[in-house]
Amino acid sequence: MTGRILSHAELIELIDLLGASRRLIGPVRRGDHYFYEPVAGAARLALDAPQCVYSPKSFLFPPEETLLTFEKESGRFVAQPVLHDAPIALIAVRPCDIHGIRLLDHVFAAPPGDAHYEARRRQTFILGMDCAEPCRAEAFCADMSANTAHLGFDLMVARLAEKLEARATYAIEAGSETGENVLAEFGRGRAPGAVDEAARAERAARKRQAFPKRLRCDVDELPMALQRGFASKTWAQTAQRCYSCGSCNLVCPTCYCFNIRDDISLDGNCGSRVREWDGCQLRDFALVAGGHNFRSDPAQRLRHRVMRKGRWIQDRTGLPGCVGCGRCDGACTAKISIREMFNALAEEAGHDGD
Amino acid sequence: MTVIESMEAGVRTSPYVSTPARVLDVEKLTDLETLFVLEMGHGRALDHRPGQFVQAWMPGIGESPISICSSPTRGRAFELCVRRVGEVTSHFHRFRPGDELGVRGPYGNGFNMRSLEGHSVVVVAGGLGLAPARSVIQYIIDRRDHFDQFHVLYGTKTPADVLFRHDLSLWRHSALMNVMVTVDRPDEQWRGRSGVVTKLFADLPPLDPDRTSAVVIGPPVMFKFVVIELMARSLPADRIFCSLERRMKCGVGKCGHCQINSEYVCTDGPVFTYERMRSLPEAI
Repeated sequence: MTGRILSHAELIELIDLLGASRRLIGPVRRGDHYFYEPVAGAARLALDAPQCVYSPKSFLFPPEETLLTFEKESGRFVAQPVLHDAPIALIAVRPCDIHGIRLLDHVFAAPPGDAHYEARRRQTFILGMDCAEPCRAEAFCADMSANTAHLGFDLMVARLAEKLEARATYAIEAGSETGENVLAEFGRGRAPGAVDEAARAERAARKRQAFPKRLRCDVDELPMALQRGFASKTWAQTAQRCYSCGSCNLVCPTCYCFNIRDDISLDGNCGSRVREWDGCQLRDFALVAGGHNFRSDPAQRLRHRVMRKGRWIQDRTGLPGCVGCGRCDGACTAKISIREMFNALAEEAGHDGD
Repeated sequence: MTVIESMEAGVRTSPYVSTPARVLDVEKLTDLETLFVLEMGHGRALDHRPGQFVQAWMPGIGESPISICSSPTRGRAFELCVRRVGEVTSHFHRFRPGDELGVRGPYGNGFNMRSLEGHSVVVVAGGLGLAPARSVIQYIIDRRDHFDQFHVLYGTKTPADVLFRHDLSLWRHSALMNVMVTVDRPDEQWRGRSGVVTKLFADLPPLDPDRTSAVVIGPPVMFKFVVIELMARSLPADRIFCSLERRMKCGVGKCGHCQINSEYVCTDGPVFTYERMRSLPEAI
């Protein structure tokens, strides 16, 4: 077994070491919910937070960001790209969100690379926090093979003793050279012994039992089931309830669609081009000049999102478009569930095949 | 190589920064459409393919995807035909020679003109579709020996909507090509043909289906009727090339606005074979 074993106090110290040269961002409790927020020190973090309302994607791909500024100089506009590369450390990122970030990496790195995303991403350290059990009833991360991450992080922590946090021990492993260097520099903790090894094996066994299957089909069969269900009545039936509010897009760790707009000063002499999140469920998303809307019907928009998450992103990138985190189901004001849609379409496809 | 490593080696400059372009000439085509002749500020050619588009930027107003309506065979300058429909395109119409705007691109796959060589080509354009089609038409005129029969079928709603009248008149009187124009709703002065563009197929001479390609560009409703006519003449679906319209915000395969099923029109298109379009139910 590789890696180190840390006590809770040592983990806090390690995070503060990361924070010495990077802005720390991790789960913070706000009322009944948790959010990824910048913090001054590790003590402020809720390391055992189950799931944050939003994924930490917004620190790599902010809801609103200036892509370039422009200024009038002797009658001509001169534009200057804006790149943010201040180092950050994302702390206690859950496996589902690590999978989400891997997809964003893929999309924004595809040529021509998005320099704005890349500049942030290059300076981002990710400390993952493995899950021992599902965080919410809507989650089907295990079905999407996203309840564990093998890559896409610098360090991964798994809490071994699930008792009082202060007395907990953690197994920590590096997933990158940067992560290895940080562990070496930290130098604390101990090499895992037989007891730790047993604890880890026991935890892994418990984890396997803890995540129930919530999809009624194998994830590999999902793309074909969705394709066969393209003309299904399920889309229109379900979309009757959809308000086209885009809440599902807002909370999704793999949604990356955006709009770009111009802002300009009152005197018209300078301004900026600003990227803002956009959502395919919003009515005008596929509107073109002249007024034609290629997805004017909420059923078309719902189908677009569900097909995209369950098939099309995978077709394009080879990575799953949905990590099964369950956030969209929880956020939907009309109780539309992507998991139930996947299940309904898989069931229909099964009947078709009989 | 992991994604992060490929980022290290990747492009460092923002793909959203445009290059200055200068307006050389402005020509009003109809009440709504104006032709702008442009040249890149760096003085080099845009280096585009027929059927590609650019993102045209006016600082403080916004950016619009616009098809290039001239052929790369016509020198360093390039032309955009802009219909006044929104804020950006309305501002576009204020441009005068000497004015500057930002241009990103060219984007999209464009037409693979080499793959049409040796074939007869039928260009079918509806409305503003003549603008991108014109880049193909000019290209074929300039490389006429490389192609067999050459037919251009163009339809608009009314006589007032007919674009590129000067070009059409030259083309009509040229021995290089067969040009047919029709309008849906003729007025008293209109002496040409009337009816939808598919009516023009009746006057098309026989085509060798093994050596004919079609270029189809127009409003969504036009495609399926034109394709029916072409397939009735036994043209294979993979020799029918259609160019689709979407409102691309990024132009580089990221923002999602132009997505049709698994395809991004800005990078996988805007030119798709009908063969491919058939499996994209939301394409038209």
